[in-house]
Amino acid sequence: MLSYAFKRLAQSIPTLFIVITISFFLMRLAPGGPFDGERKLPPEIEANILAAYNLDKPLYWQFFDYLGGILQGDFGPSFKYKDFTVSDLIWAGFPVSLELGMWAMLLGVVFGVSIGCYAALKQNTRLDYLMMGGAMAGIAIPNFVMAPILTLVFGVYLSWLPVGGWDSGAVANKVLPVIALALPQIAYIARMTRGSMIEVMGSHFIRTARAKGLSERKVVRRHALKSALLPVVSYLGPATAGIITGSVVIEQIFGIPGIGRYFVQAALNRDYTLVMGTVVFYGALIILFNLVVDLIYGLLDPQIRYDD
Amino acid sequence: MAEQPILEVENLHVDFALHTGTVSAVKGVSFSLSKGETLALVGESGSGKSVTALSILQLLPPVARYPQGSIRYDGQEMLGARPGTLQTIRGNRVAMVFQEPMTSLNPLQTVEQQVAEVLTEHRGMDRKEARARVLELFRLVGIPDAERRLSAYPHELSGGQRQRVMIAMALACEPDVLIADEPTTALDVTIQAQIMALLKDLKQRFGMAMLFITHDLGIVHHFADRVCVMRLGEVVEQGSTREVFANPQHPYTRELLDAEPHGHKEPPPEDAPVLLEARDVKVWFPIRGGWFSRVTGHVKAVDRISLTLREGQTLGIVGESGSGKSTLGKAILKLLDSDGRIRFEGAAIDGLSPLQMKPLRRKMQVVFQDPFGSLSPRMTIGEVIAEGLKVHEPLMSARQREAAVIQALEEVAIDPGLRNRYPHEFSGGQRQRIAIARAMVLKPKFLLLDEPTSALDRSVQVKVVDLLKALQRKYGLTYLFISHDLAVVRAMADEVIVMQHGRVVEHGRAEQIFHHPRQDYTRQLLAASFDLELTDGARVA
Amino acid sequence: MRRLVRNRATMVSLILLALIVLASFLGPVLLGTEIDDVYWDYMGGPPTWDGQHWFGTDSNGRDLLIRTLYGGQISLTVALVATFVSLIIGVTYGAISGYVGGRTDNLMMRFVDILYSLPFMFLVILMMVVFGRSILLIYIAIGAVEWLDMARIVRGQTLALKRREFVAAAHALGVSDTGILLRHIVPNAVGPVIVYVTLTVPKVILLESFLSFLGLGVQEPMTSWGVLISEGTASMESAPWMLFFPALFLAVTLFCLNFIGDGLRDALDPKTR
Repeated sequence: MLSYAFKRLAQSIPTLFIVITISFFLMRLAPGGPFDGERKLPPEIEANILAAYNLDKPLYWQFFDYLGGILQGDFGPSFKYKDFTVSDLIWAGFPVSLELGMWAMLLGVVFGVSIGCYAALKQNTRLDYLMMGGAMAGIAIPNFVMAPILTLVFGVYLSWLPVGGWDSGAVANKVLPVIALALPQIAYIARMTRGSMIEVMGSHFIRTARAKGLSERKVVRRHALKSALLPVVSYLGPATAGIITGSVVIEQIFGIPGIGRYFVQAALNRDYTLVMGTVVFYGALIILFNLVVDLIYGLLDPQIRYDD
Repeated sequence: MAEQPILEVENLHVDFALHTGTVSAVKGVSFSLSKGETLALVGESGSGKSVTALSILQLLPPVARYPQGSIRYDGQEMLGARPGTLQTIRGNRVAMVFQEPMTSLNPLQTVEQQVAEVLTEHRGMDRKEARARVLELFRLVGIPDAERRLSAYPHELSGGQRQRVMIAMALACEPDVLIADEPTTALDVTIQAQIMALLKDLKQRFGMAMLFITHDLGIVHHFADRVCVMRLGEVVEQGSTREVFANPQHPYTRELLDAEPHGHKEPPPEDAPVLLEARDVKVWFPIRGGWFSRVTGHVKAVDRISLTLREGQTLGIVGESGSGKSTLGKAILKLLDSDGRIRFEGAAIDGLSPLQMKPLRRKMQVVFQDPFGSLSPRMTIGEVIAEGLKVHEPLMSARQREAAVIQALEEVAIDPGLRNRYPHEFSGGQRQRIAIARAMVLKPKFLLLDEPTSALDRSVQVKVVDLLKALQRKYGLTYLFISHDLAVVRAMADEVIVMQHGRVVEHGRAEQIFHHPRQDYTRQLLAASFDLELTDGARVA
Repeated sequence: MRRLVRNRATMVSLILLALIVLASFLGPVLLGTEIDDVYWDYMGGPPTWDGQHWFGTDSNGRDLLIRTLYGGQISLTVALVATFVSLIIGVTYGAISGYVGGRTDNLMMRFVDILYSLPFMFLVILMMVVFGRSILLIYIAIGAVEWLDMARIVRGQTLALKRREFVAAAHALGVSDTGILLRHIVPNAVGPVIVYVTLTVPKVILLESFLSFLGLGVQEPMTSWGVLISEGTASMESAPWMLFFPALFLAVTLFCLNFIGDGLRDALDPKTR
């Protein structure tokens, strides 16, 4: 198990390296070159960048220098916000995005699993169809449509909740963005849970459990649930990526000062260093989470083989 | 036997409500089981025997309906019983062992947890008491090294061991009735014999009544007091085992009893020319592991095997799963890479490229085990049979090809009018005939028969065996017949190789192998296949 | 096919989708107006029932009906082209990996694993930033992201089919590798691939509108549902119809495609037959 963990860790390092490499060389490929860009940079930033990227040095040197910087948490200065480094901005936005994401993930798993199990156990009843119809809607309606609708209904017409803003993390300000972010995840997880639960409930070992004289409740709780949730666990990796991606839009719509918002602003303003820093940061996050999920999966499923 | 029956099934009907309509699986089955008695439900696939068995504990999926009938355990009605009532009976008074040892255990729990659960549920034992009892049960059912196995997960055990765990689970509360639904079908013959001996022994020790579901009359003969013969959802005959075997009343029972493949094959003349020769054939699969997928060892699937086939001969290759017999067959046809020398019609073929092999392919054909898997589901059977002709007779006109297909189908007794249908519209036996037609349309000299009858019911098996023998006589074919089923091999082969772990255990004339086996392993196999009683003394318990 | 018809949701979805596709491609021709026609006398006006502006106009006075239909054209075209790109790459890659097997397969799948854990969405955005926003780039970028799943599915199918006895029987008949791939493996793998394609199209539409919503996708004067939704969101308090109609079209399309995919899967899944 331990060696498996190390091996998986060792595998994720090259992946991260690829992310950094692609980002770096994409930047260098930019028409005209990003660093002698299309618009005039303020001289102090120009000087900063020249110094930070050693633009007089050969390309490989610049690359390794950038790599070295990243290892120390230094992504260089921002193009646009002259007084901040990229790391400053990322660390300013990260706690906000993290909080949002954690809540959304929690809601997604709790509601998704409950709805999915319930629908599976009531298979082919009206309730099942209703819940699965709702889940389909959750998947079909993208969160950048859902978020404005929620704002319109609860913020504008009903005035129950603020339309946007963060207000240093007031609870009321979090409700709508968290829900908008969680809905597609709830929908996905519910559908997935239902499918795997139905499959597991039809399997032979569930028949064995029934033949032992267990009540239906115990059959589900002791035998079916864990097996049925294994696919959900492995979905948590992609779910993280989904939530991070979603947070980009949600933060934009609700005007929340998270990484996602900086990222979109940076992309629109061609703040190259910030875009690149965020991509690398997000990449690291997603890779890390995939690793954690894999390890959890390994702990849950005794059939997993560690030798490959 | 005159005692009050412990289990009574009366006029049981079971329907399945499917999208396509209602299917009646069981139509008015009645039988009763007395204390300490063993009753066998015998039938081929589709007879409704398993459905009947699963109805008793109400374990069928929700699509099952019970329009009529009654199932009483100890006077208590089971059909429509409250869940609470059923739960006190299931696993406690009436226990069940299933056919599929591979999938019937929860893969995420240790075997101890799973067996102990029955005890905590019905006997209110705490963990420690339960562990002691589980250990006792594991020893009782003959799980070697029981203490260490407690913490094992199902995937860490062999099929036979898993079935022993299932039996331990069923016996945990010393039930009155044990229902065993084809408990040995998925196992190798020698393991089968051990499990049967174990069940018989335990039944006597605990004085249980046993309802035994099987398709195998050999097992019934040795284990059951009484027999119910089922066919298409109905009981066609029932009576004491001795009577039914000695004096079967119903024609279907007689057909089943006759379904043991019979006859034997005379060897070809001594001077018949050698058709195929293999020397030191080796198939080793590398085992990779470690950081850079290094080769850490080899699975010796086939380890230096030599054989010679004369024209008109049938060489039987016998072995249990994992013995390498199928791999050997594929290696000889060059369907997978191997080391060693192979000569066909006197010419070496081991070094040939696929292109050079192509003209030889029509002379060496193959029929596989799985009649469901060996025909491409998206081709009509006419296309399936014509495919070989398109490869080897590219100049043949469409009409000539059609004529050849029709002739081939007639040869295997399939109505040629059905040639535009798809494989799923045919039964298992028919598909196997189609697979034979696909090979025969090329007029081969040599046929590799890889377990061609193993997936079929006995009564269908016999017909396929007869067909193969008739074709051999008519065309002077040479067969390499691979099977785990000694009864079929005895009827088909004139020479036999017994394989185990990729090696030859014994090689000789069929009558010598069957009547005067020299090796222990051969004797075990024969005993397990033909005379289950014999293994009683030698069982591993 | 009978099962498919029986599945009412799937049939309704098929009809609705067909209507949306027809309207998007034929509607603009029949209406005879252009997407950038400006109605100076009716700027930011709500929908009217007199046949002038069924969907209202935007704040620049452009008719929203024609813009929604044009937007549909772009969104649907992007979806089809990008799905096609992913189909070609995915099927080729997956079939080769599965059929060749062994070390090659191992290596090819490791590569896919690595790509899987890349934050693709962000790399796509990065590319948009670096190379500027071009529709061609969107096709390529999205297609390149979505082929991974397709490759895995096709490989899985190929591996499973390769072990089936009818393939071994075909080898024994002397059928060539190409013949086996074309006659035995591909036809049997087609079912799951079709299902997956129907499920990829909505994913791609979603991706495109996501990018466009952020202002990183389709650019003026062209438009897509994502662009329109983004404009609608900006003025949803004063002109909710600007959000409503494009959002409805997008959601209904995604709904239909998902239902069709599910229906097809049920119809093709041998387990439920």
